[in-house]
Amino acid sequence: MHAKPFRIGTVCLAALIPGMLIAVVLFLALYSWPAIQFNGVGFLFRTTWNLGNLYADPVMVRGMQVPIHAQYGILVFIVGTLATSAIALLIAIPVSLGVAIFIAEGAPPHLRPTLSLIVELLAVVPSVVYGLWGIAVLVPLIAHYIAPALNAVLGFIPFFAGGSPTGFGLLSASLVLTLMVVPIITATVYSALLQVARPDKEAAYALGAMKFEVAVRAMLPMVRGSIVGAVILGLGRALGETMAVLMVSGGAINYLPHTITTPISTMASFIVSQLDSAEQDPTGMAVRSLAEIALVLFIITVIVNVIARMITRGLHVGLASRA
Amino acid sequence: MQTRASETLLRRTFLLGTIGGTTLGLIALDPRQAAAANVTLLETGSSLLYPLFNLWVPKYTAMHPGLRITTQSTGSGTGIAQAVSGVAQIGASDAYMSFGQLKKSPGILNIPLAISAQTVNYNVPGLNDKNLKLSGPVLAGIYGGKITKWNDPEIVKINAGLTLPDHGITPIHRTDGSGDTFIFTQYLSFSTPAWGNGVGYGTTVSWPPVQGGIGAIGNPGMVQACGQTPHSIAYIGVSFHDQIAKAGLGTAPLQNRAGNFVLPTPATVGAAAGALEGKTPPDERISLIYAPGANSYPIINYEYAIVNSKQASPEIAAAVRDFLTWAVDPSGGNAPEFLDAVKFLPLTPKIADLSKRQIAKIG
Amino acid sequence: MSVSQAALEFPRLRGRRIRTRIGWVLSVAAFVLVAAPLADILILVTVRGLSAISPELFLKATNGISGGLLNAIVGTFVLSGGALIIGVPIGVGAGIYLAEFGTGSFGNVVRFLSDVLTGIPSIVLGYFAYITMIIGLGWQFSALAGAITLAMMIVPYMARLTELSLRQVPLSLREAGYALGAPERKIVFRIVLPPAMPGVLTGALLALAISVGETAPLIYTAGWSNYVWNGKLTHEPIGFLTYVIWSFINQPFATAHALAFAAAFLVVLVVLVINVSARLVLFART
Repeated sequence: MHAKPFRIGTVCLAALIPGMLIAVVLFLALYSWPAIQFNGVGFLFRTTWNLGNLYADPVMVRGMQVPIHAQYGILVFIVGTLATSAIALLIAIPVSLGVAIFIAEGAPPHLRPTLSLIVELLAVVPSVVYGLWGIAVLVPLIAHYIAPALNAVLGFIPFFAGGSPTGFGLLSASLVLTLMVVPIITATVYSALLQVARPDKEAAYALGAMKFEVAVRAMLPMVRGSIVGAVILGLGRALGETMAVLMVSGGAINYLPHTITTPISTMASFIVSQLDSAEQDPTGMAVRSLAEIALVLFIITVIVNVIARMITRGLHVGLASRA
Repeated sequence: MQTRASETLLRRTFLLGTIGGTTLGLIALDPRQAAAANVTLLETGSSLLYPLFNLWVPKYTAMHPGLRITTQSTGSGTGIAQAVSGVAQIGASDAYMSFGQLKKSPGILNIPLAISAQTVNYNVPGLNDKNLKLSGPVLAGIYGGKITKWNDPEIVKINAGLTLPDHGITPIHRTDGSGDTFIFTQYLSFSTPAWGNGVGYGTTVSWPPVQGGIGAIGNPGMVQACGQTPHSIAYIGVSFHDQIAKAGLGTAPLQNRAGNFVLPTPATVGAAAGALEGKTPPDERISLIYAPGANSYPIINYEYAIVNSKQASPEIAAAVRDFLTWAVDPSGGNAPEFLDAVKFLPLTPKIADLSKRQIAKIG
Repeated sequence: MSVSQAALEFPRLRGRRIRTRIGWVLSVAAFVLVAAPLADILILVTVRGLSAISPELFLKATNGISGGLLNAIVGTFVLSGGALIIGVPIGVGAGIYLAEFGTGSFGNVVRFLSDVLTGIPSIVLGYFAYITMIIGLGWQFSALAGAITLAMMIVPYMARLTELSLRQVPLSLREAGYALGAPERKIVFRIVLPPAMPGVLTGALLALAISVGETAPLIYTAGWSNYVWNGKLTHEPIGFLTYVIWSFINQPFATAHALAFAAAFLVVLVVLVINVSARLVLFART
């Protein structure tokens, strides 16, 4: 076969993606290697994170220079990251599908551009502004209304029992993430629903299905591929989000959450909040440990994506095309 | 039909983009905006010093056309790191560099520019206007999880005459690395040996897990969290006095080294600064926390400019020298018109002199 | 059908009707649940930023704690524009590859790594860029480093959304093109891409929204400048609107707070304007 320049061109562009990722991961791995050696496997299971005394002379521990009392453990942040992302997706998926169906099929056609614009505006709001709104509105809402309501209805489950929470915590971080993930899933699914061919819709109507049933039972399965793809993208956004979560999560350190309103910290937000202080460590071990956190987050993202793909394969998704 | 339409689409987008870009370009290249600068300086670092720099820079650059100074609020650690690496010419920091940092990067100057202080504020319904006294060991107990209720005997002991509620305390700390945490934890460390040997001090510390304790971002975050959470306590920089008043938070008189409980006023802050003026070494690296003296306020500190004594060029060095000399001068940056807006205190004449001597070393 | 059989039909029909009604109510509720916080955020931002909104905002640069936002506005345009210029071609190209030719193992690897890339926190990309470009290549704070970092963030979204959009186009269209003997390039650009344009545009607008709203990575790559950009791609820091939001909100001055909310207002406004005009341009052809 003769060389196909167009195909080669797209291959080169596509190859930039793994290239970028490999560059970043290699950087993280090389940079954090001393920290990996110092922290060992316990890094993942310790709840104590201590930068140590940065103003005293460093000491030699296990052959490496570190500040006195320095100990790095990230179990708190792993739990925070997984919990917030899981809750955010749990809420975001049904809500996004509901909104997408509503705009695509339920709303009058002339309103569709406006309604979809409203949803896309959610993606436009900078993450810092979500944080500001979260502190000003969402946190008091949770403290005064939502948490007591949860306590009243579901209080028999220890996870939902709240005393008098401050509002900063797992729930507020998850809700903020939900708002940031919804537009990604909604916009993608809405786009896909619009592209469903008329004959396919008409076939469902011909069978006597009502409008809602056509949307849920016939069209959604047709765009299954887009839904799964969108959810994975939304998950990526949730795992990597920093600013908004930083401002409403309560910045927990050294303890694990036991209720839905307990303060938490996520890996991404923790890196942001610690980076400045870590730079004051003359041994450099603190920044390297932060790089190790990023590496662990990368590995977790890979694992979560693998699991998502296995679920996908279980749903028999192929090329969602019709002859 | 569709293909011609997408070509039209592309052409229209291209046209719109070109028009938009040209307009912006014309605005941006307007000579009034991009003044031809001889020297550009970058200041970055402490968020405590940031407001003051933002008051200084417009005034100073107006007097010196051809000089551009950009200010950034990134944090003391970043300020030090970027001053050392040369990315920034002036690093702002609430903490002086440690021995370890200086050993790694010799030739870096720590130059005090002003004196700032910190308040400990609380939100206890009914008691916000009655100065609830607190001491270092009590605060260490609260933030360490040992003192959990407002009517704990330790707090009652130093507040005879006040009825304290039987309610849990919510200690609020800073999540982001901050000079405020640095000076607060120094106060705890110097006044309470158990804290000093345990958690210690720093721009970030390993806060002991306390039931209900939360972290807030930035000083405004501290004000807001404290204001929204009854029975909470927070440490806030003195520049935010107006916000604290607006939120209706109480200010605690703190116990100083002499055992007296003092509120932060220019007199008490000045007393502390004066007490340690004589002990300040030529390299000006000294903590002003827990100063001796009957009337000294215990949480005050020098705000530092971290500057590399070797700058990239003689012009840049001269620009930095001139700016910093103006900044520490009582008729320049240390004048009330600047410092009052951020509630800082000016350097005492002796310290200003030491700073000027360090500034002269920049070359 | 006998009468008795017909009678059996009715309860099931009633059940379906009820479930359908509930379904619509729930989906409307979902929309309201999503639109209400948005409205609240926009109101909050507008109200708090109102006092700073004036023509001066667009004509002057930041002056310490007050002034205008011209430097930040120009900077945001430059950084996001640069990110799109770099990121969209790469993303769309990769998306075309994944949809048209990427059924093999290389395609699967690219798809997988693309999804993983979206999960990398922006601060990590920012720090990576700081070490490699700002310090390693010696660019200092620069617009180019900021644009490249943003592009790295949006490429995976563009690629995947383009791919998903192209996948929705029926295979029969492609087969028709091949049957006519068209080369691959023409098939993609003339036959497959046009019906998928709404999806690709959605992706591009999402990418724009993400890049305009980022703060952390830009602090380490673009830095910040109190002065309007002078056109230098490297060795010159540049301002951007989200920095104003993040930093000015932490200042003790009310003028700074108002400016922060005004910047937030502008961010939303800018993307809204681009969103609307892009749709107008797109719908002009129908």
